[in-house]
Amino acid sequence: MRLAGRLGGAALSLVMVAVLGFFLFRVVPGDPVVSMTRGRPTTAAMQAELRAQFGLDRPLHEQFFSYVSSLLHGDLGTSFTFRRPVAEVIGERLGPTVLLVGTATLIAVGLGLWLGVRAAWRRDSAFDRATTGVSLTLWAVPTFWLGMLLMMVTGDLFPSRGMRDTDTAPDFVSQALDVAHHLVLPSITLVAVVCAEYVLIMRSSLLEEMHAPYLVTARAKGLRDDLVRRRHAVPNAVLPAITLVFLRFGLVVAGAITTETVFSWPGLGLLFYDALTGPDYFLLQGLLLVTAGAVVVMNLLADLLHGVLDPRVKAV
Amino acid sequence: MRVKLCALLATAATLGLATPPATAEGPDILKVAIVQQIDSMNPFLAVFQSSTEIGRLMYDYLTAYAADDQRVTEGLANRWEPSADKLTWTFTVPKGKAWSDGEPITAQDVAFTYNLMLTNEVARTANGSFVTNFSSVTATDNQTVVIKTKAPQVTMLALDIPIVPKHVWEKVGDIKDYANDQMPVVGSGPFVLTEHVPGQFIKLRVNNTYWRGAAKIDELHFVYFQNSDAAVQALGKGEVHLVNRMTPAQFDSLRDKADVARNKAQGRRFTELLINPGAQTNAGEPIGDGNPALKDVRVRRAIAQAIDLDALLQRVSLGYAEKGAGLVPPVFGKWHWQPSPSEERKFDPAAANAALDAAGFPRKADGTRFSLRLTGRAGRAYDEQASEFLKRQLGDIGIPLDVRLVSDNQLNEVTTAATYDLAFSGWATNIDPDFVLGLHTCAQRPGADGKGGTTDAYFCDKTYDELYARQLSEFDEGKRVEIVKQMQARFYDQVPSVVLAYDNALEAYRSDRFARFTTQPAQGGVIMAQNGMWGYYGAEPVVRATSATSWVGWGVLLVGFMAVVLTVMVRTNRRQATAEERE
Amino acid sequence: MNGFNADGFNADGFNAARLLEHKAGVAGAAILAVAALVAVVAPLLIPADALDVTRVTDPPWQAPGAGHWLGTDHTGRSIALLMVQGAGTSLFVGLTAAVLAVAIGALVGVVSGHFGGLLAGALLRVTDFFLVLPALVLAIALSTVLPRGLSTIVLAIGLTSWPSTARVVRAQTLTIEARPFVERARALGGGHGHVIARHVMPSVVPLVLVNATLAVASAIVAESTLAFLGLGDPTRISWGALLHQAQLHGAVPQRAWWFLLPPGAAIVVVVLAFTLVGRALEAVVTPKR
Repeated sequence: MRLAGRLGGAALSLVMVAVLGFFLFRVVPGDPVVSMTRGRPTTAAMQAELRAQFGLDRPLHEQFFSYVSSLLHGDLGTSFTFRRPVAEVIGERLGPTVLLVGTATLIAVGLGLWLGVRAAWRRDSAFDRATTGVSLTLWAVPTFWLGMLLMMVTGDLFPSRGMRDTDTAPDFVSQALDVAHHLVLPSITLVAVVCAEYVLIMRSSLLEEMHAPYLVTARAKGLRDDLVRRRHAVPNAVLPAITLVFLRFGLVVAGAITTETVFSWPGLGLLFYDALTGPDYFLLQGLLLVTAGAVVVMNLLADLLHGVLDPRVKAV
Repeated sequence: MRVKLCALLATAATLGLATPPATAEGPDILKVAIVQQIDSMNPFLAVFQSSTEIGRLMYDYLTAYAADDQRVTEGLANRWEPSADKLTWTFTVPKGKAWSDGEPITAQDVAFTYNLMLTNEVARTANGSFVTNFSSVTATDNQTVVIKTKAPQVTMLALDIPIVPKHVWEKVGDIKDYANDQMPVVGSGPFVLTEHVPGQFIKLRVNNTYWRGAAKIDELHFVYFQNSDAAVQALGKGEVHLVNRMTPAQFDSLRDKADVARNKAQGRRFTELLINPGAQTNAGEPIGDGNPALKDVRVRRAIAQAIDLDALLQRVSLGYAEKGAGLVPPVFGKWHWQPSPSEERKFDPAAANAALDAAGFPRKADGTRFSLRLTGRAGRAYDEQASEFLKRQLGDIGIPLDVRLVSDNQLNEVTTAATYDLAFSGWATNIDPDFVLGLHTCAQRPGADGKGGTTDAYFCDKTYDELYARQLSEFDEGKRVEIVKQMQARFYDQVPSVVLAYDNALEAYRSDRFARFTTQPAQGGVIMAQNGMWGYYGAEPVVRATSATSWVGWGVLLVGFMAVVLTVMVRTNRRQATAEERE
Repeated sequence: MNGFNADGFNADGFNAARLLEHKAGVAGAAILAVAALVAVVAPLLIPADALDVTRVTDPPWQAPGAGHWLGTDHTGRSIALLMVQGAGTSLFVGLTAAVLAVAIGALVGVVSGHFGGLLAGALLRVTDFFLVLPALVLAIALSTVLPRGLSTIVLAIGLTSWPSTARVVRAQTLTIEARPFVERARALGGGHGHVIARHVMPSVVPLVLVNATLAVASAIVAESTLAFLGLGDPTRISWGALLHQAQLHGAVPQRAWWFLLPPGAAIVVVVLAFTLVGRALEAVVTPKR
C-alpha cells in the first residue's frame, strides 16, 4: 500500500515535470528558427519552411497535445540543433555524466561516511574539529571556483578539458587510462563539494545514535568502545545517512552541471547549458525530464531502502 | 609483511598499465580547438559556422576563392561561361577529379546536388538561398552542367554549396533523418571525416586522392571546448595546436608564451550599434517600441557623432580592430568603403549637442534630453565593456542610457521584435558583399506577423534599394564595385546603425609543432574561418622530437591511488588482527 | 546549491561541544558584522571614478603591489575596491533570496501542517515536486526566462530553494499541534488564527530563523554560480560577477590569481560565517532530547 502510494507520487511528480518543462521553456525568449538562421543568407520562405518542419507554426495548445501524445509513445521529440531524436542525443551524453557522477558519488560516500564516523566517535578531538571545519569550509566553496583554482594550481599535470584525448592509442587499456587521467580534476571538484555534506550527515547521524539507550547499556555492560561502534552504532547510523545521500541527489546533479561546464566534460550538464542557446525546446524538455527523473528514482530508492532495512519505519 | 607485498604488486600492476603506447614516430596530427557545437554533419542541414567550416574540408564547392587574394578560382569546375542574356551559365567539371572512394567526380554530381535542393525543401535548410533564383539545372554530359536562372544573378560564382556524391546520396531515403555518419564519409575535399563523437571531437584524415594533391598533415582533429578560455589554456599546455576567436585579453596573455605563435588577422566580422530608425514591417506597419526621436536622421547622426570610435578601439578592443565605416570590412579590399574627409563624421560632442538642440530636443532642467535603452549581449566581452563607454559618451550629450545586457536568445528576440532603441549587433561578411548589403533592403523586414525578417536594423530606403537592384545585375565588376560603395555611403549617411569596428581575428598556434599555415588573404589573413580550406590544407608540421607526455600527472594519480590502496589494506589488516585478538 | 538541509545539521544536545559551536557562531557573527559594515559604508567612500572603466588610468592586469594591494582587473580597476563594492550586491541577493525562500517555505509549511485535508495534500505534493526538481536547472531556466537583473536572480533562487524549509516547518507544526496544550486550546474554542499565532508560530519562528541563516549561505553560493554561468546582472558588481569577468577575460591563462582568488575567498568566508551562525542558532533552538 505504502509502496503503491510512493510510486504514484513519483509518477505524478514526473508528469508535473513534463508539463512544466513544456511551458517553462516555451517562455524562454528567442525564436529557435531565428537563432538557427542568424548570420546566414535566409529568405522569409525558408524560415517559414523551417517553422513548419518543427511544428512551430501551430498554436501552442496543438503543440502541447502533440508533445504529450508523442511522449506517451516514448518519443521525446527531435532536437532542433542536432536534427536527431532527443532520446538519441541524450543517450550519447549519458555515459560521461554517469561516469563522472558515479565515480564522484562512490568516492564521496566512502570518504564522507568514513570521516563522519571517525569524527563523531572521537568527538571534539582535533580530528573531529579539523574534519568538521574542513567540511564546513568546503560546503561553502562554489563548485566552479574550486574547479578553476584546481586547474590553475595543477598547471600542466592534468588535461584541461573533456574526457578523452583524440590521439590516444585505440586499445582499451590506453583509452581507460586516458579517461581516468581526464577524470581526476572533475571528480576531485565534485567529490570535494558533495563529500562535505556527507561527512556532516554521517557525523550527526552517528552522534544521535550514540545517545540511544541501547548503546548506553552496551557500554555499561563493559563492551569495548571499538566493538560497540562497529557492531551497533555504525550500522544503525549508516542507514539514515545513506538514505539522506539518496535524497540529496539533486545536489550532485547541480554540482555536475557546473563541473561539466568548467571542464568541458561532455555530459548532460554541458548539453543542457548548450541547449539553452537556441533555445532547443525538445532537448531542454528531455533533459529536465531525465534529470528530474533521476532525482525522483533516487528518492524512491531512498524510501524503499529505508522501509526495507528499518523495521521502525513501518510503524510510522 | 603481507601488506608490503600487496602494495608492491599493486604498484607493479599500475605501472605496467600506465606504460604508454610506445610511438616514436606517430602521424602528424593537427588538433584544432572549437568552441561552437557541431549541429550536424549533413551538409544540407548544418548551419553552425563550425560545421560549415568542417563541411568545406569534406566537400568542394563548384568554385573556390584563392588563398592569396580571394579571387574566384577553380573548384570542382574549372571553366564557366554566362550566356549573353546572363540567364544561362555553363560550368565545366574537368575529368581527373575523384571522390575519396575512387569514383570520378562528374557534372552529374553537381546537377544531382542542386536538383535535390530545388525539389526537396529539407535539403534547402542550410543553403537554400543560393538556389532560389534557379529555374533548372541539367548535366548535359559528364563534364558539363547548365544552370538557368529566372533573373540575371551576379553571385553565380559565389555558390557556397557543398557538392555531394550522387552515388552515395541517391540512396539516402530521407534527408531529414540522415546524419551522414557512414564513416569514412565519401567526399571531395582535402580531408575525409572518419569519426565524430558528439560534444567531444571530430576526426578527419587526409584525402590522398584530393585533386590538388594530398595535404601535408596526416590527421586533423577538432576538439570541442565549452569556452575559449579553456581552449587558450589547452593551447598553452600543447593539448591543442590551433585556437581562434580569442578575446584581446586572451591574445595578449600569449604574448610571451614559449612555442606559441600568434596571428593577428583582418577578420570578416564587424560590430555595429543599431539605432532603431522607426522599425516597420515589409508592409510599412510600425512594429516594436523604439524611441520616436530616433526616426529623425539628425538625431541618429548626432548620436553617431558623439561616439568616440577611437576610444572604443583602444580601450575595449585593445587595438585589435580597425575603425568602423562602411558595411564591408577592409579585408575585402576593393568592396570596402571609407568616407572621404568631407563625408566623415568626426567625434565631436559639441557639434552633436548643437545638432540635437537644432533638431528640437533641447536639454531639460536636469540636463537630459531623452533617455534610451541600450541592449547588448551578456557574456560578450565587447558588449559588457563598450556599453560603459557609450553610457558615458552619450551621457555627455544629454542622453542617459539604460543598459540591458541579456542572453543571446533575448537579444535575438529584442531585435526581431524591434523592441530596442540602441543595440549591439554584428555580422560576418562574405567575399561577395551581396549578403550583407541585401540585409538592409526593405524586403528583409519581417512580415505582418512579425516573422520572416532577417534584418535587425530595419533600414528601408528607396535610394539604397535601387542601388541594390542595380548592383545585382551589374556584371562589370568595376561598375559593381562603384555601386556597392555608393550603397555603403548612403547607409553611412542615413545611420540606421553605426559600424563601430572591424574586429581582428585573433588566432594562435603551437610553433613547436607547426611551421606555417596558409592564410587567406596572404597578407594579414586568417587561418581558421576562411572562405576556403587553405588554412588546414596548407598546414606544415615541423620535424618533431618525441614529446614527453605529462608523466607528473600520472605520478600524482599513481601516488594518490597507492595511498588509498595502502590505507585500506593496513586498516583491514589491523582490524582482522584486533578482531582475532578479541573474539 | 540546492538549498541546505536541516537534517544534516541536527544538534547534538547540550554538552561541551555546544560551547565550541557557540564560539564558532560568535566568530561567524563577527565576520558577518564586518562584512555588513563594509558593504554599507565602503561604497560611500569609494570615489565614483575609481570603478568607472571609462575613467580609470591604471594599467590592466597589474599584480598586487604598492599601488593596488590586490592588483587590477582587465580594465585597470582596483580589485580591492571591486571586492568592497561587490560585497553589497552579494549580501543583498543572498539575504533577499533567503527571506523569500524561507517566507514561502514557512507559509506552505504552516498552512499544510495546520489545516490538513485536501489543501495540505496539494501543498505537500507541490513541495515534493519542487524537492525533486534539480534546483540549479530550474534556477538557470528561470533566469533565462526573466529579464536580466537582481530581482530575477533573487526570484530564481528564492523560488527554487523553499521546499526544504517547508518540510521542516510542516514537521514542527504537526509536532506542536499534537501536543496536549494545543488540543486544550482548541477545545477551549481557539480558532485557527489563535492556534497559529499563539502556539504554532512561537515554536516555528526560531526554526525559521535557523533556516533563513543557512539559506543565506546557499543563496550566496547560488548567486555566484548563476553569475558565473553568465546569467547574472552584468551591470552590477558582485563577487560572482567578478569571477565571471575573470573567466571571460582570461584570468586563468594570464595566471592572474589576484583576480580569481579574492572573490571566491570572500564568498567562502561569508558563506562559512552564515553557516556557523546558523549552526550555533540551531544548537540553541533545537529542543533537548
